[in-house]
Amino acid sequence: MRADARIAWNLARGSDRREWWRIALTAVGALLATVFALAAITVASVRGQVSIPFGQGLLNQPGERSGVVVALLLLLIPVLGLLGQCARIGAVHRDRRMAGLRLAGASPAQVRRISALESAPACLAGSAGGLGAVAVALAVQGHTPPATAWVAFVVVVLGVPVAGALVSVLALRRVVASPLGEVRRVRPERGSRTLLVLSVAALPIAVGAYALVVRGSSPAAASFPMLVFGLVFLTGAGAVWTAGSSAAHIGRRLAESAKSPAVMIAAGRLRDDPWAAARTHATLLLVTVVGIAFVGVREVVLADLRGKGIHTPEGIAFYTTGIDLTGAAILVAFAISLFGLAVGTAESLATRRRGLAAQTAAGVPHTVLARATLLETALPLAPAVLLATIGGMAVHLAYTAVAAPGTVPSVLPLLVPVAVYAASLLAAATSLPLLRRMAHPAELRFA
Amino acid sequence: MSTRNENPSGAAEPMIGATGLTKQYGRSQALRGASVTLRAGEILAVTGASGSGKSTLLHCLAGIVRPDEGEVSYGRERLDRASENRLSELRRTDFGVVFQFGQLIPELTVRDNVMLPLLLAGTDRAAAQDRADEWLERFGVRGQAALRPGELSGGQGQRVALARAWVTGPKAVFADEPTGALDSLAGEQVMTALVHAARESGAAVLLITHDAQIAAYADREVWLRDGAVHSGATPFAVQEAAHHEG
Ligand SMILES: Nc1ncnc2c1ncn2[C@@H]1O[C@H](COP(=O)(O)OP(=O)(O)O)[C@@H](O)[C@H]1O
Ligand SMILES: [Mg+2]
Repeated sequence: MRADARIAWNLARGSDRREWWRIALTAVGALLATVFALAAITVASVRGQVSIPFGQGLLNQPGERSGVVVALLLLLIPVLGLLGQCARIGAVHRDRRMAGLRLAGASPAQVRRISALESAPACLAGSAGGLGAVAVALAVQGHTPPATAWVAFVVVVLGVPVAGALVSVLALRRVVASPLGEVRRVRPERGSRTLLVLSVAALPIAVGAYALVVRGSSPAAASFPMLVFGLVFLTGAGAVWTAGSSAAHIGRRLAESAKSPAVMIAAGRLRDDPWAAARTHATLLLVTVVGIAFVGVREVVLADLRGKGIHTPEGIAFYTTGIDLTGAAILVAFAISLFGLAVGTAESLATRRRGLAAQTAAGVPHTVLARATLLETALPLAPAVLLATIGGMAVHLAYTAVAAPGTVPSVLPLLVPVAVYAASLLAAATSLPLLRRMAHPAELRFA
Repeated sequence: MSTRNENPSGAAEPMIGATGLTKQYGRSQALRGASVTLRAGEILAVTGASGSGKSTLLHCLAGIVRPDEGEVSYGRERLDRASENRLSELRRTDFGVVFQFGQLIPELTVRDNVMLPLLLAGTDRAAAQDRADEWLERFGVRGQAALRPGELSGGQGQRVALARAWVTGPKAVFADEPTGALDSLAGEQVMTALVHAARESGAAVLLITHDAQIAAYADREVWLRDGAVHSGATPFAVQEAAHHEG
């Protein structure tokens, strides 16, 4: 174990910039996950009717508190997506390195331990940082959670690095099986493993959140949230599936007929690994569905308030604090997802840097490579966002019909997918400066 | 050797000339006053130990990197002063490049890889496809046109890279250890294909190698030591050093 730890440390220390990126981003992801989980535990541990000077008394009522807990739990989903992206940074190189260790005689168990030791400390640093942040926030607020909550805190803080280590061990399965690892794998079946892990992790969170929402309400009252959750998840899953399968389809069609080099390069990549798009866009698409539904619900509630003769900002604020906080949570989720997309794009460029440098050396203009990079995001995202829009609008229309029968549904929610699409392209574009560096002739020296 | 040019290559006019090139990377001086001339239609071998500056010299001549000092001229043009756009246009149209490995895009089929430079030059797809197939045929990899680079053997991959370098009808091809990752049989096949293409097309080839057997395919040979170019008989020390790498 000591020897493994030393090897892990030496590998981390001797690694290039990208490894530090991965370690830092993984720690940030772990920190976010810990903060959201601890905040959810803190709010959930408050009992009965209390007076908390926060968000216009949002946390005073048990019912509203459970809404906050739900929002915090749902925020974990994009964080998981981000962690998944971070785990992929430098994956190709890490696999090579581990395969190298295997060739040098390391046993499978040793390689597994080394890779676990590489990622667990980053997660632990993040989760400890999260605990510190939450503890400071609690101290500032002068709130002391009960002992049970602290026990749950400890479980989360220790659980995050354990989960991180498990994920990195799982990701190494193939390398552990063969010392040749990824180095010579002809057609990688990259598939949708990450997606599967993400949905397996997201489902209990969603079910738990749903249970919290309907806690104590009658079966009849529980069915509408059920419908909403169901619709959101079905369209979310459908949109993700659409992203993957349309990437495969678009890739195949365009690769055969592309007249422009940028389209041909983008199509080749889509065809080769269609699920990469679904992986990077999964949480963005979920956020799109939720965002459209949310804007729709908000419009109905605001119209209702205006109908009741409440017009002053203060008057409206009294009713809308909860809604606004939900909106803020969705925006946070959106930001995290965009960050994940930017990380994913940067990672895919970094992995291909030698090839990119060789293309540039052969005279492929920088603009062609840049256009191909953007097309890789733009092409599969379009149909997926369209489906997400249809799903979100369905929730919106259903809610309008139930809550405000006879009114004309608002079209404001349609702005959401437009904003998501534009923001996604911008997020992908943030990696273009990196492209210039990756395509530099100096990168020709790296395998 | 039968592969040597029938015409003494000294008669051919200079195509690319470099004089007094220096290039510094951090603390290591890759080139210190290197001068070399590539003549039209000749195959020039550049040998030398690892780290002697061979790749850097090739990068300077092909307009991939700019030397710190010295001149690179291509015809009447000064490459060391040309704009980035002009250089990448030249690399697309007048020059071809072949590296040890890694120049093919792994996600594209072999045919698409070879078509790429033509599409960049604005050739229409059908014509580009015909030309690509023609060159794949010449290098004996037509049967692999629909495969991805990852599905090829090392030698096949390099022959595809040669097809890609020659498909635009270049005036010069720069090959940086094109057989460096191959066994000797595959290396020989690649070299035979390269020499054949060079003779048929009349393109000049700058061939970097540290293998004396590969260098023997060339019309002329120069060697690098410590960032400077020497000609004449390769000293034993250089041969030894190169031999130990291979
Ligand atoms: N991009 C670069 N960054 C830093 N050092 C470099 C770079 N390219 C070359 N060098 C250094 O310059 C010297 C010559 O390298 P190179 O031209 O690749 O030699 P060769 O191809 O003969 O092996 C070496 O010491 C090498 O380390
Ligand atoms: Mg070299």
